[in-house]
Amino acid sequence: MTRGRWLLALLALVFAASWVVPGFFAEPHLPDPDLMKRLAPPSEMPPFGADDRGRPLLNYALQGAQVVGIPALVAGLLVALLGVVGGLLATVGGGRVEGAVAAVGELLGALPRMVVVLVVALLVPRDARGLMPIALTWAILAAPGAMDEAAAVAGRLGGAAFVEALRAHGFSRSRILLYHVVGLNLRPVVVRQGAETMMQVVFLEIALSYLAIAERQGSFTHSDDIHSWASLLDLGYKVVLDLPSWHALGLGLGLIAMVAVTAVTASAAARAR
Amino acid sequence: MAADGARQWWIRPAIRLGAAALLPVAVPAVITGLIWALPGDPASLICPPEICSGTEQLAARWNLDQGPVHFFLSWLSDAASGDFGKSWRIQQGSPVTPLLLTAIPHTAALVGLALSLLLAGALGAATRVLPARADSLLSAVGLIPTVVMSLAAAAAVSINYGASAFDAEAVRVKILLGALALGLADSALAGAARGVRSIFESERQRRYVQMGILRGEGVLSNAWPNAAPAIAGQMRARTLHLLSGAVVVEVVLQIEGLGDLLWSGTLAQDFGVVLAATFGFALLSGSLLLAQAAVEIAVAMHVRRSPPVREVAA
Repeated sequence: MTRGRWLLALLALVFAASWVVPGFFAEPHLPDPDLMKRLAPPSEMPPFGADDRGRPLLNYALQGAQVVGIPALVAGLLVALLGVVGGLLATVGGGRVEGAVAAVGELLGALPRMVVVLVVALLVPRDARGLMPIALTWAILAAPGAMDEAAAVAGRLGGAAFVEALRAHGFSRSRILLYHVVGLNLRPVVVRQGAETMMQVVFLEIALSYLAIAERQGSFTHSDDIHSWASLLDLGYKVVLDLPSWHALGLGLGLIAMVAVTAVTASAAARAR
Repeated sequence: MAADGARQWWIRPAIRLGAAALLPVAVPAVITGLIWALPGDPASLICPPEICSGTEQLAARWNLDQGPVHFFLSWLSDAASGDFGKSWRIQQGSPVTPLLLTAIPHTAALVGLALSLLLAGALGAATRVLPARADSLLSAVGLIPTVVMSLAAAAAVSINYGASAFDAEAVRVKILLGALALGLADSALAGAARGVRSIFESERQRRYVQMGILRGEGVLSNAWPNAAPAIAGQMRARTLHLLSGAVVVEVVLQIEGLGDLLWSGTLAQDFGVVLAATFGFALLSGSLLLAQAAVEIAVAMHVRRSPPVREVAA
């Protein structure tokens, strides 16, 4: 069961990486339009077909991966790291720091996250648009929750008493904190929180870009010459207008499913012992 | 330790009351700071000098000529009397208050309906009417992002109403479907059900509840006072989550709500609209903090009035 979960998570991660890594080498611009291949299905233009100007959807997918790849990873790692800090503080008995973190979390979490994100988006100059500041904001807003949860796990262990008990068994302090506390007990929480944050950042990017497309404006998350995965959803949505763009809808939803499955399997694997 | 906790019961409600009072002032203050932090003269945001002359008169007319503190204080005093200023770009020169008055009922209906779905799920989980095996299904549905659920709802409206998608009936359907999307997507319902179930299941294991059951009393009536603060906290977080998602749902479904107004204002750098919309969100968030603090204070008062449970030495 445990090996199965790890294998599944590994497969999902390799699959996701096979999208994200080539994304960094993707062409910065889409190829020239070829109206003869307009909305060509995958059978005519492998592997995913073409958009309404005959350009391959593969390029959209790779450019979208480039937009979300690094910011989502950084946000996820930041939340996981701060979760570890929260858990360790509870273990070494940093009561005052814990109290301060709870108070800051209370204030940071008092507003809807999207409102804070939009205010941050207003700050970013138009020529410096990118997902990173928004992803970092999201991570900072998500961090108090992760720290709180990790602290609760450490508290259930017994906090400082747990460390003292293991010290009495002859373990070194660093081994107890890094292996017993972080590696064995905090790992499921922080990996899940990190994976969820990565997923949320990807979904946030798709949402922000889609909303911008809906209003025919440039997105806050990338420059105008790059396409997000939201463009695939936008093109796919036009099936409602009887446009044969099912392949774009399928690809967009498939990429979203890939992100969700990767996050879920990574969390499940971290839970496995 | 427990005695310390009991003595310091007031700290968390006090922080929440303080934050509730601070938010409606702090949020416009931050936005005002932002206006002056951006490169260029604030008046040039209303009308760029390339296409406008008389920027100084414009700044004087829009209260932007005497610095951020003067602007903020006069905006706040006007807001206290119900005047939220004018739109800078979207409907340049028009008062924002009517826009807010149109938007708030739509957002309230959307979030209210979604919240009632969450409350029903939470109640079902607490009473075990919603079985634990349903959590996996809800979690799987909850993996779908709000934007995708909203698109599905928008497609349904578009197919059924077409050109008349802005009729009163279509707007009602949009709000209903939007609330469903908001409630189900991004683990909103799944999180509410799972969270409340976990709280009540751990309370059920406690001895006082088991004794209550033996006396023929209900689980909910016994567990509620202990569970209420945690549930109030969860529900506040869920409501904030719904307010956050409302921005996406309203734009995709073209519902003229507070989120749609904020989004349009942000895209157009219309600080008049952004100030008013964020102030609206800050008021809502402040009310949620007040509600949570009220629950915590009520529970603390209830606990203090109830006869203390004394441990009997074995």
